[in-house]
Amino acid sequence: MAGLATAFGSGAMTNSINELEDVDVVIVSGSNTTEAHPQIARRILAAVDRGAKLIVIDPRRTALAQEAHVHLALRPGTDIALLNGMMRIILDEGLADDHFIEMRTENFIALRDQLFKIDLDEIAAITGVDRQLMHTAACLYARAYKSTFCYCLGITQHICGTNNVQTIANMAMLTGNVEKENAGVDPLRGQNNVQGACDMAALPACLPGYQSLADMQIRQKFKQCWGVDVPLTPGRTVLDMTHSGHNGTLRGMFVMGENPILSDPDQTKVQATLEGLDFLAVSDIFLTETAQLAHVVFPAASFAEKSGTVTNSERRVQYMHQVIEPIGECKPDSTIIAELAERMGYEMYYESMAEVMEEIALLIPIYGGMHHDRLRSSWGLQWPCPNRDHPGTPFLHKHYFSGGKGHFTPAQHQEPFEPPGDAFPLTLITGRIYHHYHTGTMTRRCASLNRESDKALLQINPVDATTSAIRNGDLVELTSRRGTIRLWAQISEDIRPGQVYTTFHFSEAPVNLLTTGAADPIAKCPEFKVCAVKVARVES
Amino acid sequence: MYTPKSAVIKEIISENHLVKTFRLSMVDSQGQTIPFRFEAGQFVMLSVPHRGEAPISISSIPANPSFFDLTIRKAGLLTSAIQEMAVGDHLGVRGPFGHGFPLDDLLGKDLLLVAGGIGLAPLKGVMESCLSWKKVKKLTDISLTLCYGSRTPEDICFRATIEKWQQDGVSCRLTVDEADPSWQGEEGLVTGLLADQSSSGDGYALVCGPPVMIRATIARLQAFGWSDEHILTTLERHMKCGVGVCGHCHLDNTMVCTDGPVFTLSQLQEMKVAELG
Amino acid sequence: MKETTVILAKDNLQGLLRKLGRDKSLVAPVTNQWGDTLYTEITDIDGTELDLSKQPQASLKGFFFPQQEVIQTYDTTAGYEFTPQRHIQPTLFFGVRSCDLHAVLYMDMIFSSPERDDAYFARRQDTTIITLACTTPFANCFCNATGSGPFMEYGYDLQLTDLGDRFLVEAGRQQGEQILQAWGHFFEPATEEDVQLQYQLSLEAGGRFQRKVEVEHACRILASGEVDEQIWQQLSARCADCGGCAYVCPTCTCFNIRDAQQEPSKGERIRSWDACTFSGFTRMAGGHNPINSDHALQRRFLHKLKYDVEKHGKPSCVGCGRCVDICFGHVDITTFIEAVVED
Repeated sequence: MAGLATAFGSGAMTNSINELEDVDVVIVSGSNTTEAHPQIARRILAAVDRGAKLIVIDPRRTALAQEAHVHLALRPGTDIALLNGMMRIILDEGLADDHFIEMRTENFIALRDQLFKIDLDEIAAITGVDRQLMHTAACLYARAYKSTFCYCLGITQHICGTNNVQTIANMAMLTGNVEKENAGVDPLRGQNNVQGACDMAALPACLPGYQSLADMQIRQKFKQCWGVDVPLTPGRTVLDMTHSGHNGTLRGMFVMGENPILSDPDQTKVQATLEGLDFLAVSDIFLTETAQLAHVVFPAASFAEKSGTVTNSERRVQYMHQVIEPIGECKPDSTIIAELAERMGYEMYYESMAEVMEEIALLIPIYGGMHHDRLRSSWGLQWPCPNRDHPGTPFLHKHYFSGGKGHFTPAQHQEPFEPPGDAFPLTLITGRIYHHYHTGTMTRRCASLNRESDKALLQINPVDATTSAIRNGDLVELTSRRGTIRLWAQISEDIRPGQVYTTFHFSEAPVNLLTTGAADPIAKCPEFKVCAVKVARVES
Repeated sequence: MYTPKSAVIKEIISENHLVKTFRLSMVDSQGQTIPFRFEAGQFVMLSVPHRGEAPISISSIPANPSFFDLTIRKAGLLTSAIQEMAVGDHLGVRGPFGHGFPLDDLLGKDLLLVAGGIGLAPLKGVMESCLSWKKVKKLTDISLTLCYGSRTPEDICFRATIEKWQQDGVSCRLTVDEADPSWQGEEGLVTGLLADQSSSGDGYALVCGPPVMIRATIARLQAFGWSDEHILTTLERHMKCGVGVCGHCHLDNTMVCTDGPVFTLSQLQEMKVAELG
Repeated sequence: MKETTVILAKDNLQGLLRKLGRDKSLVAPVTNQWGDTLYTEITDIDGTELDLSKQPQASLKGFFFPQQEVIQTYDTTAGYEFTPQRHIQPTLFFGVRSCDLHAVLYMDMIFSSPERDDAYFARRQDTTIITLACTTPFANCFCNATGSGPFMEYGYDLQLTDLGDRFLVEAGRQQGEQILQAWGHFFEPATEEDVQLQYQLSLEAGGRFQRKVEVEHACRILASGEVDEQIWQQLSARCADCGGCAYVCPTCTCFNIRDAQQEPSKGERIRSWDACTFSGFTRMAGGHNPINSDHALQRRFLHKLKYDVEKHGKPSCVGCGRCVDICFGHVDITTFIEAVVED
C-alpha cells in the first residue's frame, strides 16, 4: 500500500479485474493466483488463451508458473535485485518509454544512475535466475503495448515490502505501463474487504479515504460530523500491538473478525501479549483460538445475516444482501460497535446501514457518490466515485496520477532478515491453498473443504527429503529458532532444493509459531515469506 | 438400504500397535445373536458412533454365521475411534457387500496367498476355508502357501493364526522391510519370497496389499507363468454407499463395491487401475 | 397421436394453478428480488408472479435429492439404533423445462438400481410435472444434441406450448389426463390450426439453437476409442476444483454420507451432494488416491458420455447448459466434446 502510494499517489489496483483479459503481457509476482485468486487467475489464463504472454516470478513452480511462457524462479526475498536487473536490461535495449518518463514522472535520474551501477552477473548470482531468462522477460514486458504487473503477498510480506512495491512501480513507469487501460500495477487483495478496511482507515496513520490526519480542514470536517476531536498522533500497527509483550504498554484490546493467534507471526509472542492483557474482547462468528483467550466474546453475524457493502481488489464497492435473520444471539458488527459506543457514553444512532453509507459518502471524497440505492441492484461502483452522477472509475490515473507526477524511488537489494544457515539450513515460505481461507475459522468447519485438505503438508524437494531420510507422507517436525510444529511431508519438484513450503490454515500446525516478527519498517508488514528452518522425520 | 443394523463386539484381539481384530455378532433388539452370512472377500459398511461409515473387509472364515471378524488398522478418524471401543459396545453394520472370492473354484486347488500388511485380512477367510476343506477331504497333494510382507516385525498381523496354519501344513513365508535385532527371518520386499512360486497350472494366486506391492507382485507372478485368470486381487477404495450408487469407488465402467472388490487380473487389465500402474 | 390435446387460455392459468395447488404443494419458476429465477415453492399463487421467460438457474434435482438431507437419526443411549427419516410431500411442478424433466427421468433410473433408493423415492412419489416446451432456447442450451428437448416427446404429465395468448396442452401420462378430466371447464378443444402452429414452433425452436455441440458424435468416438492423454491433462489443468459443474448438473447424483453429532448420544446421518472432480472424492483414509489429479475430469465426462450410455442407453447429459454457465475454467462438458470431436 505505502509503496504504491508513494509512486502513484494511491495504493490500489490501477486496473479493473476484467481488463486483465485484454493485456498483451502480464507479470504475476508473489501470487499463487490459481489457489488464492481463482477469479483473477481465470482472466489471466483467458488472456493467455487469446495470445498474451505470461511471466511468473515465484520461487515455486505454482500451477500458474506451469502455464507461463517465462518462469523466473528467484531465490525468496530477491525481488528488488531481479526487477532492477530487468530494468537495466530495458535501459540497455533502449526499451524505456522516454516520452512517458519525461512528461509524467519525476526523479528518473536517481533511478537511472543506480541502474547503471548494476552488474547483471551479480544480479543472476543474487537471484539465482538465469540472465537469458531475465532478458527474455524484460523484453517481453517492455516491448508490449499493454503490460500489467500483478503482485500479491509474496511481494509485500518481506522486510523490504515497501521497496519491492516501489520497484514494481518504477518498472511500470519506466516502460509507460500505467495511466492506461489494460496496463498498470495491480496488487491483489487477500480478502473480499481488505480494500474496504483500508479505505475506512483501519490503518494507523490516516483518516478514512486516505485523508491526512494532519490536515486542519479535514480534521474539522470529521469533528463536525463526529462531535469529537480526532487524535493527532497515529495509532499503532498490528504487530506493534500483538508483539508488545506480556506486560507491555498495551492493556486492553478489542479484536473483530481476526484470529491473530494463528495469523500473526511469532505465535509465542502474540499469545504472551494477549494473555497478559487486562482485558480482551473478541467479536467473531466462531469461537476462534483468539476468542478462547478473551474475557468477553461477542457472537457476530455472518455475511448472510446482515446487509452492507464490501470493497474488493479492484476498488469495487458491492452491496451484500441479508439472506437470513441472525441465528441465536449474534449481531452484526455495526450493531456491536454502536451498542458498545452507547454504553461508553457516545451515541451512535443510525436509521439503517444506508445512513452509515451516507456518512461515508459525505466524509470520504472517493466514496462521494456511493449510496446504497445505487449499489443495491448493480454489480457495484469502483472508486473514485465523487458524486451521484459519477459512473465510477474502472482504471486509475487515466492521464493523471493521483499524486501529480509519478515518482521514481530507486531501491537496493536487501537480504531477508533470517537467511538459512548451518543450524537452520532451509528457507520456509508460507502461503495459502485453494480450499481454505485464512486460519480456517470458517472453512475447516466445512466437511467438503476439510475433506479436500484436512492436514498441513510440507512441500519439500526430493533432494532435501533424501538428505533427511523423509518419505512422501511421513510425519515431520519443522523447527525454527522460535518453535516447532508437526506436519506431513509432500515431496515435490515444484519447490526448489533448500526451500520448503507450507500454509497457515491449520491450528494443529500453527506455522506462525515459526515465522519471524521482522517487518517492513514503513508498512509494518511482517516477513511471512522467509524464515530459516530445519526439518526432521518423526519416528513412529 | 442405508440403515445399519446392530452388531455387538464379542472379542477384541490386538494384532499389533496399530491393528486390532474385532469379533462381532449381529444382534436383534433383544440382544439375541442373529445369523450373518457372507463370502470370504466381501466387506461390510461399518458405522462407529459419530464417526460415520467406512468399508471394512471381513477377515474371518465364512463357515460360522454366528460371528464375523473385522481387522482394522488405525488410519483415519473412524478407525482411530474404534480402537478405543470395548467388548460389549455396539457398532452399526450394513452388508455384506460385493463379490467375494470364488470359493467353489478355489477349494481343492493349490493356493498361494501374497499379502502385504493388513492386506492379509480379506484373504484370511479363504485360506481357512481351503485348509478345513483339505482336512475334511483328506487331500494331501495340494499345496497351500502364504507369502507375507510387513514393514517391520512389529507390524505383523495374525501371528497366532499364522502359527496355527504352519502347524497345519501351510508353507508360511514371512518377510519384513526393516528388520530389528529380534528378527531372524527374511528381510526385503514380499516379491523376494516369490522366487520359486511358479504356477501349478490350476492353482490360484490371491494378492492383496498396498498398490505398489500389488503391481510388483502381479508382474512377478506373470513372469512365473501364472495365468491372468488365476491371479485374483481385492481392491481397496473410498466408499460411501456399498451398493453402487454414490460413485466414490468408480473404476471405469464398474463400481468396486458391487462389481468387486475381488477381480481377476484379466478383469483389471480391461480397466485403468492405479494398482497396475 | 397424443391422447388428449386441448387449449388453456393464459387468463385461466392462475385459476387452474390455484385449484391444483390445493391438495399438493405448487412449485414453479419465480424471479426473486435479487434477479435469480428459481423453481420456487409458491404458497400464495395470487400474490406471486411466475416467470416463464427465463431458464431457472437450478434444476429440479434438489427437490428429490436435496443438497443435504438427514437420511437417519441415530441414538447410542442403549446400543446403537438408527431411525430412517423420510420426507414425503405431494408436489405439483409447473413450468418445468424439458431438459429438467428428462433429468428427473434419468435420476429415476439411477436411483432404481440395484435397489430403490428410499430417500429419493419418498420425495419423488406423488409428484406431478407439467412442462413448458421451449420455443426459444437459451444461450447455452444444447438439448437438441442430447435428445432431451426443446419439446418433450414422452414422460410428462402435461406439456404446455406457448401459442401467444394461449397454451396448447398435451396430456402425456395418466396424471395429466386426470387433471384435464377433473378441471375440464378450464380448457377448450384445440383446433387443427393450434396443432399445426405448435408443430411450426417446434421446428423453428430447433433452428434457434446458438450452440452446436456434437454429443452423439463424441459418444460414438468414446464408445470405440481412447481419449488422447493430452486432452485430459489440458482440461484438468484448467479445472479449478470447485465442483460447480456437478452441483448444478441435473443428473449428477454422486453423494457423500457423513455423521453430525447433535448431543452426546444422538446425531444425524446426512447425505449430501458430492462431486467426482474433488480429490477427496476418491482419496482413502491413509492418504492414497487411486485417481491422479491429471484425470480429475475423466470420471465426470466418461461417466456421462460413455458409461451411462453403456448402462442406460443414452448419455446422462441433458444439454441444459448450466455447467457451461458456471465453469470459470472454461472446461465444461462442451469444451470436452469439442476437444474429442476435433482430435
